[in-house]
Amino acid sequence: MKNQWTNFLAGYIRVKADGIGTERVINKLIKQNIYIWNVKRAGSHSILFNIQLKEMHKFRNAVRNSDCKLSFLEGRGGPFLFKRLLKNSGFLAGFLAFVVLIFLLSNMVWGIEIRGAKPETEHLIRKELDKMGVEKGKIQFLLDDADDIQRKLTNNISALTWIGVELKGTTFHFQVVEKKQPDEQVKLSPRNLVAGKKAVISKMFVVKGQSVVAVHDYVKKGQMLVSGTIGNPDKPKIVAADGEVWGETWYKSQVEVPLITNFSVFNGRESVKHYIKIAKFSIPVWNFKKPDYKNFETELSERPLKFLKWELPIHYKTATHREKEDVTRKYSVKEAVSKAREMGKKDLMKLIPEDSKIVGEKILHQTTDSGKVKLSLHYQVIENIAVGQPIIQGD
Amino acid sequence: MAQKWGQKLRQLMMKSMDLPHDVIMDLPRITMIGQLHIYIENHRGLLTFTDTELRLMLKNGQLLIKGNSFSIKAILPEEILLEGKIDHVFFINE
Repeated sequence: MKNQWTNFLAGYIRVKADGIGTERVINKLIKQNIYIWNVKRAGSHSILFNIQLKEMHKFRNAVRNSDCKLSFLEGRGGPFLFKRLLKNSGFLAGFLAFVVLIFLLSNMVWGIEIRGAKPETEHLIRKELDKMGVEKGKIQFLLDDADDIQRKLTNNISALTWIGVELKGTTFHFQVVEKKQPDEQVKLSPRNLVAGKKAVISKMFVVKGQSVVAVHDYVKKGQMLVSGTIGNPDKPKIVAADGEVWGETWYKSQVEVPLITNFSVFNGRESVKHYIKIAKFSIPVWNFKKPDYKNFETELSERPLKFLKWELPIHYKTATHREKEDVTRKYSVKEAVSKAREMGKKDLMKLIPEDSKIVGEKILHQTTDSGKVKLSLHYQVIENIAVGQPIIQGD
Repeated sequence: MAQKWGQKLRQLMMKSMDLPHDVIMDLPRITMIGQLHIYIENHRGLLTFTDTELRLMLKNGQLLIKGNSFSIKAILPEEILLEGKIDHVFFINE
């Protein structure tokens, strides 16, 4: 016997047969293997029964020359339900539109909150965010992710020391730490100025205190430069010595430059593929081409899609393929030397205080072996060597 | 005479080979579930069907079922399932 619910799915028709020979009609139908069910008498000369929708044509042929009057009362089951659904398609469309709308709204940026910033900084941040496209009403997964936003903000706004970026639901939260503005001059305690390193003094500019060395003097580390004890030796007055003492100091550095170097560089060609990732399966939705790059690096980024407050197991994924190229750089010895000097200078600049000046540079030693140029460099630098040393006043 | 011989042969086969009667002799197999359902296999067609009566053709004779509020749940060339309140089942032999 057949299953009732498959009949329902495939659809069936309720038929009314009117006439004297209703039993004969039924016999005829079952002889031709037309499945009928739920036969019921409805009055003395008529019966009701069900037939399958797909057997309609067979049924029509079978009952063509019978003396019963047949009428189809109604259709039930899958196809008829579907028809009715189509007829009321406005409801269906409305429901779908509703779901889509909720989905879209759940994936939008609805708020930008900046905390811990002064009004000026906040304005700067907002301007920078506008430039990046982070605004109310933008779709989240088309924007940069939180890490990228954080990096860009820190790079582009100098007033920021650190900014924490967090996407909570539909709101971006920014936690700002601003760079400390220089403090007001603190009152100096009594002190001497001593040499921070060995040097030959080239210039002195004493604001307060008694200088004990002169220009062109050679001083050792820790040697007193400006004394905080002034006035009559019998009745000394102790002050905070202040001033700048510029001395010529020396630095040595070793620089090595290989003559032949292999680099792997990006040549700017890239292709971005877009995927929708459901659970663990990625379905490509845009850009199906396979990049014809020999060497490339792939960068993946995944964004979850949200529905109301839930994250769906569906992700929007992009894969960026960037082509790499191997580049060989060759230097002649002369070029290598000039490059090495440049590098040495750059390294030194990082080492010495900002207001210092490099006044001389000498190559002490130069060797070329196993494809490398080695340089020993000597630098003369003018820098402020004065360092405060508190005077501990006895009792 | 020949028909009787055939009948006898079948009876003999049944006794010796222990085969079910309905298979060998084309008899209806009737299953009833209380008064609610009656399931008849091996019928030869519908003769009458009303709310209170169902008459079926068998190979030999007819089967008459009486009761009330009958409805045929399913009907196939050799099977029929009747639902309702069954009061009587008659065999009518010609």
